[in-house]
Amino acid sequence: MQDGDRGSIRAEHLSKTYNGSVHAVKSVDFEVRPGEVYGFLGPNGAGKTTTVGMLTAGLQATSGSAFVDGLNVAREPESVKRRIGVVFQESTADNDLTGRETLELAAALYSVPRAEVRRRVEFLLEQMQIGDAADRLAKTYSGGMRRRLELAFGIVHSPRILFLDEPTLGLDPQGRAGFWRYVLQLRKEHGMTIFVTTHYLEEADGMCERIAIIDHGTIAASGTPSELKDRLGGDIVTVRPVAGAAPAQEMLTHIAGVSAVTEQDGAYRLKCANGETLVPEVVAACVRAGIGLQAVSVKRPSLDEVFLEFTGREFREDEGMSATDRAVLLGRVRNQMGGRR
Amino acid sequence: MIRELGALTRRELLRLGRNPQAIITSLLLPLLYVLLFGQGFNGFTKGVPPNELALLVNGSPTYFSYFAAGMVGFVAVTATLFIGANVIFDKLFGILKRVSSTPATSFTIFGSRLLAGVIQPIGLAFFVLGLAIGIGHLGLSGLTVTAAVGVVGAGEIVLAIVILSVMFASLFLAIGFSIEQPQSYFAVVNAINLPVLLTSAALYPWGGMPHWLQTIAAYNPVTLAVEVIRLNLFAGAGPFYPYAAWYYLLGLLAWAAAMILLATVLAGRALAPKR
Ligand SMILES: Nc1ncnc2c1ncn2[C@@H]1O[C@H](COP(=O)(O)OP(=O)(O)OP(=O)(O)O)[C@@H](O)[C@H]1O
Ligand SMILES: [Mg+2]
Repeated sequence: MQDGDRGSIRAEHLSKTYNGSVHAVKSVDFEVRPGEVYGFLGPNGAGKTTTVGMLTAGLQATSGSAFVDGLNVAREPESVKRRIGVVFQESTADNDLTGRETLELAAALYSVPRAEVRRRVEFLLEQMQIGDAADRLAKTYSGGMRRRLELAFGIVHSPRILFLDEPTLGLDPQGRAGFWRYVLQLRKEHGMTIFVTTHYLEEADGMCERIAIIDHGTIAASGTPSELKDRLGGDIVTVRPVAGAAPAQEMLTHIAGVSAVTEQDGAYRLKCANGETLVPEVVAACVRAGIGLQAVSVKRPSLDEVFLEFTGREFREDEGMSATDRAVLLGRVRNQMGGRR
Repeated sequence: MIRELGALTRRELLRLGRNPQAIITSLLLPLLYVLLFGQGFNGFTKGVPPNELALLVNGSPTYFSYFAAGMVGFVAVTATLFIGANVIFDKLFGILKRVSSTPATSFTIFGSRLLAGVIQPIGLAFFVLGLAIGIGHLGLSGLTVTAAVGVVGAGEIVLAIVILSVMFASLFLAIGFSIEQPQSYFAVVNAINLPVLLTSAALYPWGGMPHWLQTIAAYNPVTLAVEVIRLNLFAGAGPFYPYAAWYYLLGLLAWAAAMILLATVLAGRALAPKR
């Protein structure tokens, strides 16, 4: 391992094909620097969980390689597992154990020095605000408490690298904020590298230093959130003519200050430096050209826009059974069986 | 490794302790066998002259005594069934995924389930033995010990029950690790359980079995364990058991080793990165 690789994650042409036909991840390349919070943003079924699986030695890559903390994941899965923490998308909390027992188990499995276990477990229970429920069985926990317990499981050994697969799924806004406050504090204390997947745009925008937009198994764009937004070239003015109006793309392109025009579902998206001052010009130009208008709107670029720009589609949900669906389904099964176990 | 094994075994034991209904229901089958089945079938040998009976049941004093020793072995088998089912439920609930994402090895994960899992079958086997002996004092047919059981003999009985439990626990764990659905698990396990019982000498009077069945039964692990028990309780070194107990125990050990190996391989495969 080279020193510079400490705490880093690297994917080289990483691909995963399920059952020889489902191309979930297609030759993905990226690098996460030590100490960075790196976000994988994509809709349901984009390949986020699959990527995390390959990086954490849970899934075999079909081709390509993954390096975590400088180690080849396929060659040294045990060493990799020792250095990382993982919080899965679906709930994996053990119903028949209490919160405290769960963390004691985690501490033993990750070889936390015996003398430290008590203090560490106590501290995590406190931090995750499950101290009061520490000696209750996990089956009595709320969804948010379970989630926090799982986060605690993943960080009990202060890993160098933490993988979070949609960690805030099912948390209320307050719970989400609390979760992130704690994760970011952890990072400050331990200098952890954090790889997080999410389909919440605001989350990727607010919490991640760099993000990759993944869609249909490929990375459509990556960079810091502001870089990505800058690439849009400023504001977006959306002009929606009335139905049946004459084509206006050519005309709109010639308005001063407009740098690009694209058409999408009968509306035109105009890129410009300052949207608000452009609106009067656009309206005037349309009146002159005899094009009736239904609506005109100005948007500061958000990741929504970034997603649209780089994938050509609205941020959308995929068909087929995604991991989220499976998690929800499993939750239902679990609830039904909860009484019997 | 020892620490991981200890921690995971503790988890299994905590879960066992928190689901006492599993323990209580597991008592039902042996109670039925010993209090109904055995009582009813014992009547078949009423009026059979002692010397002929001895030929049929290898020197046991009654059919019930013979049968009860067989049940001690069979109960140890049926009580290991649920160990494999628990693996499947833990798969469905993501618990196995969670554990296999940690540095714990697949052998440790299998080992912890084996260690915690054989406690109940072993306990149940001795419960049946005690029950069968005990009800003899209540006016029912009971198990009558007719040989002098020394320390070595008692040790051999314990060993037979332990090895038999370990063997079947390993087998059912191996199946649990390789199967995803509870329904398929129970289908497979039932397809094993009954044939194992019915090709063993647990139920049938040995002297009345057709030769071909005797041949099959002689290699059946349940037979091997049960013979160690009968040999020690009834026959001593009599003419019905041509071999010493360690001979049967060795055969049993070979079975157990094979099943542990199988389970280790299948657990390793099930917990390796998914293809
Ligand atoms: N075990 C599997 N077998 C077959 N196909 C799978 C399997 N797991 C995932 N897929 C498919 O691979 C694709 C990517 O799935 P993945 O779970 O990685 O998506 P995701 O980005 O995590 O989605 P979500 O936001 O819903 O969690 C999907 O089309 C999914 O249906
Ligand atoms: Mg996912």
